[in-house]
Amino acid sequence: MNATVLQPDTLVVHGGLEPEQATGATAPSLVQSNAFAYPTAEALEDVFAGREAGYVYSRIANPTVAQFERRITALENGVGAVACASGMAAISAMVLALAGAGDEIVSGTSVFGGTFSLFQQTLCRYGITTRFVEPTDAEACRRAVTDRTKLIFVEAIGNPKLDVPDIGALAAIAREKGVVLAVDNTLPTPLLFQPGRHGAHLAIHSTSKFINGHGNAIGGIIVDCGSFAWDNARYPHLSVLHKRARNLTFLAFLRNRICRDLGCCLQPFNAFLMSMGVESLGVRMERHCANAQSVARFLSGHPRVRAVRYPGLAAHPDHALADRQFAGRHGAILTLRLVDKAACFRFINGLKRARNLVNLGDARTLVVHPASTFCRELDDASRLAMGVTDDLVRFSIGIEHADDIIQDLEQSLKKV
Amino acid sequence: MKLTINGKPTETPSALSVTALLENQRVKMPDMVSVELNGEILDRKAFPATLLKEGDQVEFLYFMGGGSGGVPWN
Repeated sequence: MNATVLQPDTLVVHGGLEPEQATGATAPSLVQSNAFAYPTAEALEDVFAGREAGYVYSRIANPTVAQFERRITALENGVGAVACASGMAAISAMVLALAGAGDEIVSGTSVFGGTFSLFQQTLCRYGITTRFVEPTDAEACRRAVTDRTKLIFVEAIGNPKLDVPDIGALAAIAREKGVVLAVDNTLPTPLLFQPGRHGAHLAIHSTSKFINGHGNAIGGIIVDCGSFAWDNARYPHLSVLHKRARNLTFLAFLRNRICRDLGCCLQPFNAFLMSMGVESLGVRMERHCANAQSVARFLSGHPRVRAVRYPGLAAHPDHALADRQFAGRHGAILTLRLVDKAACFRFINGLKRARNLVNLGDARTLVVHPASTFCRELDDASRLAMGVTDDLVRFSIGIEHADDIIQDLEQSLKKV
Repeated sequence: MKLTINGKPTETPSALSVTALLENQRVKMPDMVSVELNGEILDRKAFPATLLKEGDQVEFLYFMGGGSGGVPWN
């Protein structure tokens, strides 16, 4: 055992924290202040000029948010992080920090519906084109990269397709082409998987989900894993900064240009809630994964269920890779297929404890019908590529007792 | 020894490494500070092994702080 390298379960409690010297408080201090005063004009100028550390305005940085950023940086073993107002704000800011009009993104098809919409419907209006590829097909990804590609983007576990890309293989392509690989690590969380250790350059999260863990704060974060050389000529706007900011080039540009100008800052109160929520991430993920495995096994043998998809099942096409990549744990999300949409609605309506809503990663079990909700506005071909059909139900399995979760599902399946 | 830190003449113990200087000067957010030595930005990995000498010009720069970071954007 290495005494100096803390285990993730310990890092979620202690990582990135400095003792609160003024009071000895162990909980994060909530600094709910818009701006920060300095005794002299010279002192404020020094902070603006970057000669002194300090906070000036919470749209740019805030002590409570910074503490949350340090915690997630420690969990992802990164260089630093910038927190945003939501997971979608984090993805938007990351893209805008890397790409501009005339540039391209290569994205996995099986990304969250909101991300798909951002890439397919919104960014194209500003001249950024997305080429979608099967994220499990690394060669397709290689073929899609052009001279204009500024980002390869995949989810570590596709939501809700639940496919598992080989991050090491994608990282090799990203290295070969000199393109940034960003991995949305929301579903596995840093407890199961650290993209940077597999060669990804950026790890991104909707922290509203498992990191928060209680469904009470929206947020997102981008972590620079420290392996991309930002003097790369593919990113001339960053390489010019590299002479000054070195390994902090991307984060400095992201915070002090993109996020400052967009105003997509994380609220201090949300950072406060998520800093407390993340402390129990280790035990929650253990229970989430164990429960999801039990529920997947139960559903697999159920006569009214046409198909179950969960990376922890041997029948899942990416099971072996998932097993290896996530060290034997497979997350909390699973999907099942019934006969049709009406059966899905009857099943959801019959559940007594699972809550019907569009979120995941809460302590409680959540259920949703993706085709009629967050994938509603997508065309049939896009939905199919994302693994979303009318007969599909998605579960985010909670931390209740597995027997009670299964009992709830069982009683409702009887009504289908 | 005499150094110039952020433009101010400063007296420090001799033979300090950059890491030791950050501690000696009680630099805030040492994990986020960049150090410019005689006009060249140092690689962070070089902080422990880089020894300072009499007359060195040292600048501490915060690119990730709460201000605009002093980055020459354009």
